[in-house]
Amino acid sequence: MRDAYLIAMNELRVTIRNPFWAVSSLFQPIIYLLLFGPLLNGVAASRGLPGGDNAVQFFAPGLLVMNALFAAGFEGFTLRDKLDSGFIERLRVTPISRLALTMGFILQSAINLIIQSIALIVCGAFFGLHFDIGGSILLVLLIVLIGITMSSISFRLALIIREGGILAGIVNTFVLPAMILSGIMLPISFGPPIIQFIAKFDPFLYAVDASRALINGAIGDPSVWMAFAIFIALSVITLGVFIRGMREAVA
Amino acid sequence: MTDSIIHTEKLCKRFAGPKKEVVEAVRDLDLDVAKGEIFGLLGPNGAGKTTTMRMLCTLLSPSGGKATITGFDLARQPHEIRRHIGYVGQKGGMEHVASGRENLMLQAQLYRMSKDEARRRSNELIERLKLTAFADRKTETYSGGQRRIFDLASGVIHSPQLLFLDEPSTGLDPQSRARVWEEAKVLHEQGTTVFLTTHYLEEADALCDRVAIVDQGRIAAIGSPAELKKQIAGDIITLGYEDETRAKAAFQLLEGQRVILEKHDLGTSLQLYVDRGDEALPEILRIVGQGNYPAKSVSLTRPSLDDVFLKLTGRSLRGDGGQS
Repeated sequence: MRDAYLIAMNELRVTIRNPFWAVSSLFQPIIYLLLFGPLLNGVAASRGLPGGDNAVQFFAPGLLVMNALFAAGFEGFTLRDKLDSGFIERLRVTPISRLALTMGFILQSAINLIIQSIALIVCGAFFGLHFDIGGSILLVLLIVLIGITMSSISFRLALIIREGGILAGIVNTFVLPAMILSGIMLPISFGPPIIQFIAKFDPFLYAVDASRALINGAIGDPSVWMAFAIFIALSVITLGVFIRGMREAVA
Repeated sequence: MTDSIIHTEKLCKRFAGPKKEVVEAVRDLDLDVAKGEIFGLLGPNGAGKTTTMRMLCTLLSPSGGKATITGFDLARQPHEIRRHIGYVGQKGGMEHVASGRENLMLQAQLYRMSKDEARRRSNELIERLKLTAFADRKTETYSGGQRRIFDLASGVIHSPQLLFLDEPSTGLDPQSRARVWEEAKVLHEQGTTVFLTTHYLEEADALCDRVAIVDQGRIAAIGSPAELKKQIAGDIITLGYEDETRAKAAFQLLEGQRVILEKHDLGTSLQLYVDRGDEALPEILRIVGQGNYPAKSVSLTRPSLDDVFLKLTGRSLRGDGGQS
């Protein structure tokens, strides 16, 4: 496991050194807070949002889920790049175990998300977000599970797809509808029954519900255990698939 | 052979081609490389050199046959083998946004060195290879030559018994190439076995104790560069022509001449193997001259490894098969 840690630290150091990293990864959520938040305030005033009329309280926890969806969803690019540059090949000739190599990439993705999530909660606080400490810690844990799920899928795809553009297309095709149907932007209850029905099959819907409950410290909310159950299962399955894929691709 | 550091028996690799046909990249390879040798695989691109090397350094599993590397079985003990070998691939595989030193540190730690050990060993290599000036810059700013020396450093960070170099000087300027050769020789003197692939004849000639000439997945000949060249007795006369038709016509004129031991039509030039070039040349020029196909250019040379390759395979290494 020391090897996995070494790989993860190496990746993180490289990521953090990129001057655009901090800006680019938090740019999108902050823009949402800045520009979409006030719009949502209008909605809250005229129509009311579930959980009160504070738009930030409704919106900010969902941003954490959205960030996990996109940031981890595009992790595959990192791996593709490392495969193309010969970096992975170089590591494969060292005594590092294949599992450690795989877990190194998952670990760096998870640590990355933890940092970003904490930064987002702090940002949210500036926009008037109230957060419960205990609930937030659980929320970050849930975000990590979502991250493992998304990055495993993304990494697995990167092993098969050599073209970056195609990879981006595939990821977007799945991430975008999953995001909208999760009710991050607007409550799904605003939509017609058909949308509400389809959304029930979107695992991220439960994650977003849980994120709102957790930020308020409502740990006992049924959405919380449901989201954890779903994403523990999904992360185990997708991670298994990625590990197997890695074993085949880089024997 | 028990004292060989690489031993293979009927090693082969088959791939599925684009039309699902079976491509035999490496066929029944029997190879023995002794400890301390610099051994080269020479051949054009697509000959199976890199596939062979990737199998030997545990990156690719063979389709058949067996191999023992540094005393361990390739199929059953790849993990043991990895401790004892170093590998420098064609792409190098440096992390672009990390410095050369950081890359070395990571590599050293993956070979189970402690942080202090890793730092000491990295510093030692950086100093010895004179890399200090740019060791702390990001590797993406390096020139091809600088990067390649760092690749080399990363390949020997754990002082392996056996070092694999895949096309070590491809794409390098002559100066950097000389440095790579110099370092390979230093390692050789220190007792490291070096196994390399190349499509540069000069490289095989200048560096290798023994060379295996590979073509279409098979070894066509094996021996020291001098031994291989000795296979071609005598001298080589090359006649150049304006076009292929004239060359072909001259080729036919020379049919049945007893002074010519062997001849090859290379398009616009003809290559003739003769016993004694100084005596055969006037005779040959007289024949093509009288037949109204005088040569545009003439050269008389001693055989090179290229000629060995040509003789064995009927194709030139420099021409179609040289660069990718």
